[in-house]
Amino acid sequence: MDKTELDRLLLDAHDRNDHAALIRYYTLAADTCEQAQDIDAACFYLTHAFVFALECGAAEADALNQRLVAHGRGHRLNFSD
Amino acid sequence: MNKHSALSSVLADVTVANGLPNEHYVDPAIFAEEKRSVLFANWSGIGFGKDVPEEGDAKPVDFLGMPLLIVRDRDGEVGVFQNTCRHRGMILVDTPRKIGGAIRCPYHSWCYSLKGELRATPHVGGPGQNKHEDVNRDELGLIRVRSFVWRDVIFVNVDGNAPAFEQVHGALMERWGDFDKPIFHGGETSSFKLEVKTNWKLAVENYCESYHLPWVHPGLNSYSRLEDHYNIEVRGQYSGQGTLVYRQLTDQDGATFPDFEGLSDKWDEGAEYVALYPNVLFGVQRDHSFAIVLEPVDQGNTVEHIELYYAKSIEDTPEYDGLRASNAQLWKTVFEEDVFVVEGMQKGRHGMLFDGGRFSPAMDGPTHNFHHWVATQIENGRAE
Repeated sequence: MDKTELDRLLLDAHDRNDHAALIRYYTLAADTCEQAQDIDAACFYLTHAFVFALECGAAEADALNQRLVAHGRGHRLNFSD
Repeated sequence: MNKHSALSSVLADVTVANGLPNEHYVDPAIFAEEKRSVLFANWSGIGFGKDVPEEGDAKPVDFLGMPLLIVRDRDGEVGVFQNTCRHRGMILVDTPRKIGGAIRCPYHSWCYSLKGELRATPHVGGPGQNKHEDVNRDELGLIRVRSFVWRDVIFVNVDGNAPAFEQVHGALMERWGDFDKPIFHGGETSSFKLEVKTNWKLAVENYCESYHLPWVHPGLNSYSRLEDHYNIEVRGQYSGQGTLVYRQLTDQDGATFPDFEGLSDKWDEGAEYVALYPNVLFGVQRDHSFAIVLEPVDQGNTVEHIELYYAKSIEDTPEYDGLRASNAQLWKTVFEEDVFVVEGMQKGRHGMLFDGGRFSPAMDGPTHNFHHWVATQIENGRAE
C-alpha cells in the first residue's frame, strides 16, 4: 500500500471514529517506517495506534506498548487488571 | 448592624427563632458562600448509581459549576473525579458514554484508567517519545473527589474535609437499618425531574414538614391525616416527617408490590420521609422507596431529580410494570402539587420587609432544624 492510500485510509478512519481501523492503519504505518529503519516515525505511528487501542480496550494495546518500550519510548503498563 | 448577625436569631430555640434571612434565598453572593460552606463542605448528592449501571459507564455532572465525572470501574465500584485533564485542563468527557479501555482527553490524548491513573502521555517527550523525566505519571492521575454511595445516591464531599460519610450520617443509616438491603430502580417510568424556580433550601424545607399536607395535598386527607404524622428531627444531622398510616398502592386485582424482606412491624403501616442535609430527600415505605437529589442551579432555580426503587428488579417482576407506572404518577402528582409552594416562597423572599418568618413550635421543628444546620455551616465557614 502506498503512503497516499494509507493516509487516505487513516483520514477516513478518523472521520468514522473507527478505532479498529485506526489501530490497524497506524500499526501498518509504523511497520512500514520500522522496516525502513525510520524509528522516530515508526514510534510516532506506534504511539497513535497504542493510544487508540488503550482507549477502546483493544487487545493490541499490550503488544503496542511493548514495542514502544522496546524502543525506549514509553513506560511498560500492566494490562492484567 | 452587621449583616452576619442575623443568623443568631436562626440559631435560637424554635419557639423564638426566625428563619434564614431573605439574602440566603435571593442573593448570588450568599449562594456562592453556601456553595462553599454548605454544599462543598458536606456530603452532597450529585446523582445515582443507576445512571452508571455497567462497568465502564461514565457520566459527566456539572455540580454548581464544578465539572465532575462519575465512573463505574472494572470492580463495579463507583468513583467520582474532577472531569478535568491534568495536562491543559480540558474537559475529559462531555456526554454520558461507555469507556471501553481508558478515558482519553480529546485535546492531546493523555489517557486515564477508570480508577483515575494516568496511563499514557503521548508525545510528552517529543514526537514518538511517550515519557519525560519531569512528568511523573504517579503524581498526575485524575483528582478523585471523595464519594460515597448510599441507597443508590452518589454523595460527594468536594472540599475533602468532612468527616467520613458513615460518621456524619450513621444515625440515619442505623435508624433505617431495616432497609439496608438491595434496592432495584423501577425503570424508565420511575425516573423524572422537575425544574423549579426556587432556591434549593425551600425544597428541603417544604419536604421535611407535614404541616402543609392537608392544605397543599388535600387528596391525602382521606387516609393520611395530619394527626397521623410525627416530626423527625436530629439536631445537626437530618429532619423530616413520618406517617403511621402508610397505605400500599394496589392494582385493579388488589395486587401490591412485594415488600422489602425482614422489615419490623413498625413498617407495616409506617413510612418516613427524611431530608439528609444538605440536598438529598429520601422516603422509605414497606414496598418501595425513593430518593430526590436537589440540584442547586443558582439562588432561584433548582432541579429535582426523582428516582423510585423497589424490592424486586423490573426484570424479575414485569407483572408490576403498570403498578410501577401508576406509583410514579402518584408521586409525581404529589411533588408537582408542591411546586407552587416552593416557587411562591421564593417570590415571597423578595419582600424586603420579610424577617425570615416565625416557626410553629409544634409543627415546624424539622424545618427549623434544617435552618439551624445551614446557619451553623455558614457560621463555621465564616469562622475559618
